Amino acid sequence: MTRRERRNLRNGLLFASPYLLGFVAFTLYPIVMSLYYSLCHYNVINPPVWCGLDNFRTLITEDKVFGKSLWNTLYFTVFSVPMGLAIAVGLALLLHQKVWGLAGYRTVFFLPSIVPIVASGVLWLWVLNPQNGLINSTLAMMNIEGPGWIADEYWSKPSLILMSFWSVGSAMVIFLAGLAEVPQSLYEVADIDGAGRLRKFWNVTLPMITPTILFNLVMGLIAAFQYFTQVYVMTAGKGTPADTTMFYALYMYKNAFNYLRMGYASAMAWLLFILVLTATIGVLISSKRWVHYHGE
Amino acid sequence: MREYLWYIVCAVACLVVLVVLWPSEAGSPEEKAALAEGRVVITYWDRHTGHEYEARVKLIEEFNRSQNQVYVRTLPIGSRIEKLLTAIAGGAPPEICSLETAVLAALASQGCFTPLEDFMAAEPYLNEEKFFPHVWAMVRFDGHVWAVPTTTDSTCLLWNKGAFRRAGLDPDRPPRTLNELEEYAAKLTVRSPNGMVEQIGFLPWLPWDVTHMWGCLFGGKWYDPATKRVVCGNDPGIIASLAWQQTFAVNPASRENPPHAIDPTMVSAIPGGGFGEYQSASNPFYTGKVAMITEGEWQVEFTRKYAPDLDWGVAPIPQPEGAPPVAYSPNAVVDAIPVGSKNEEAAKVFLRWFYSPRPNGGASPASDYNYDIQNIPPRREEAMQERFTGHPKFRVFVEQLLTKPAEPYPAIPAMQLMSDDMERQRGYVTLYKITPEDAAHNIEADTNTELERVAKVRGRAAR
Repeated sequence: MTRRERRNLRNGLLFASPYLLGFVAFTLYPIVMSLYYSLCHYNVINPPVWCGLDNFRTLITEDKVFGKSLWNTLYFTVFSVPMGLAIAVGLALLLHQKVWGLAGYRTVFFLPSIVPIVASGVLWLWVLNPQNGLINSTLAMMNIEGPGWIADEYWSKPSLILMSFWSVGSAMVIFLAGLAEVPQSLYEVADIDGAGRLRKFWNVTLPMITPTILFNLVMGLIAAFQYFTQVYVMTAGKGTPADTTMFYALYMYKNAFNYLRMGYASAMAWLLFILVLTATIGVLISSKRWVHYHGE
Repeated sequence: MREYLWYIVCAVACLVVLVVLWPSEAGSPEEKAALAEGRVVITYWDRHTGHEYEARVKLIEEFNRSQNQVYVRTLPIGSRIEKLLTAIAGGAPPEICSLETAVLAALASQGCFTPLEDFMAAEPYLNEEKFFPHVWAMVRFDGHVWAVPTTTDSTCLLWNKGAFRRAGLDPDRPPRTLNELEEYAAKLTVRSPNGMVEQIGFLPWLPWDVTHMWGCLFGGKWYDPATKRVVCGNDPGIIASLAWQQTFAVNPASRENPPHAIDPTMVSAIPGGGFGEYQSASNPFYTGKVAMITEGEWQVEFTRKYAPDLDWGVAPIPQPEGAPPVAYSPNAVVDAIPVGSKNEEAAKVFLRWFYSPRPNGGASPASDYNYDIQNIPPRREEAMQERFTGHPKFRVFVEQLLTKPAEPYPAIPAMQLMSDDMERQRGYVTLYKITPEDAAHNIEADTNTELERVAKVRGRAAR
């Protein structure tokens, strides 16, 4: 290494040091330590006591609530993510039309995404109120008796899935960018071949926005696995009724801070990491079959 | 050299910014003056916020004016355990903190607090015999006294007299037996023509789950201090109390439900039953949406503040026939000195002042505090003061503690888990998913497993 290279390296590291220090202190160190704590009984106050794979064994073989929280989270993810993507694509297609006041419409559909999560949780409690809520009042006008929504054990998860569609705005904006990238020439070729609207959507638009779908799918999966704030606000952190809204992240939080089982919660965090990683890798591998990049 | 000059200028600029932004040692002019006088400044973390915190600040200011040695700085942190936990674990706790006994039991068992038995034994006003026995049981466990009790509670039945009148009931005669409670609940439940619940007469788990209380009132035993184990699994009182709560929920599989039963999902339909509305004018009891509730003495102050026009009464909660009469007082707010407190002696100076009568013979600041926030003093003599027993409603709450043995939460490290599990299992029972027997058994098994785990970890950590 020449003197100049050494100097460049030093200066480079010096300029990157605020990030590097922050990364090591606030990201790398906690990650490494949480792996260690997941193999210990640890309550934050006293030094960790090594227990090997005890936490993982208890989680998988003994903890009934853990199983429920995992099921709830998978159920939510499986329904909310694909349906949310479909709605976002649909909205993006509508808002991609050349009509008057387009910017205004786009803003309106994006607005819910910037409402603070806690505020939207409280708002939805009112929308989903079994007697006076917006949905059940409307249903009542049509002589339909609405369900108990979030308070009903069979409807609580569908309620949260429904609620998750409210914030598809950010995915929609990314789809809009994806749609703008589709080369006009392809539509012209399709027109010459006599393709109809539906045909053009299936054979041109959808394949061309698959990279955007992949991105939104991965981000959506990660967010859904970590679903926490809404359910914490709407059920006062209890996961009621009958544990049907006890999500993985909520149960992890309760273990860490309410029951002083930080080691146990760390083990949960690592299992969640493995789960998200597997799901993401699965999606990425499968993407070779269905994602089309420009020029390929 | 020129090229280094630029770095030096940057470094100096950073330093200047850091110096300017560095938090100053004193937060207020009074604190600065106290520091200049050479007084020891200590920090007090209050479990309360809002008007209850203001009442505390008023008294601490009085202490600060009376002192030339110690100055107390206050901070409202609320009831969440996380802040205290991280402060203690990080070695930067406050000198004193107020907290609830459920949190105290979890943290003290991990060695978070300084034992106070020697200090309290030497103080004439802090001896064991001064306190209600149930309060003492909440702060004395594992061979030590961990905190000084500040307030205690008592739960009674509250009823809306207007709702009684509308239902054709005598507004001055509350239900006295469980049968009457069920009968009144049925009469006070108002449904609209399309079957919607417009007013709930009574639900045993409203405004919140009190499965522990109903178990105690039914003569059940949750915990055995001798064996340090939860023993509710086969307890007839506990099982009966869960079965009784179940009768208030409509059984979807049955055609014949008792008249007082309602669909549990309808609870969430009651306006004000949701997030953050308990301590506000939209509390469903204040708006008349719930006719009878079981609540604590703080409602005397809360209703004055949030529902001044509400006409309500208070009476002991009915118990089943033959059950030994008990009062219910699950929690206490206490003052504790965390391990790692930088100035224990100064903290004790403040505690001594707060819990002793004023030099002119007047009531102690602790008693004033209870009076200001309308809680019950944990020391029997103070609870009997005219200002607490003279108020017609408040007296009913105090009388329960003066005339009957009171049941608190057991002082166990797994209390939070047990409390969550009681609510979970009760939820399953009232949805007819499991039997009351299963629920009692599950609570016992879950909590004992956790107690064993805590004991095992403690044993290993001690080695």
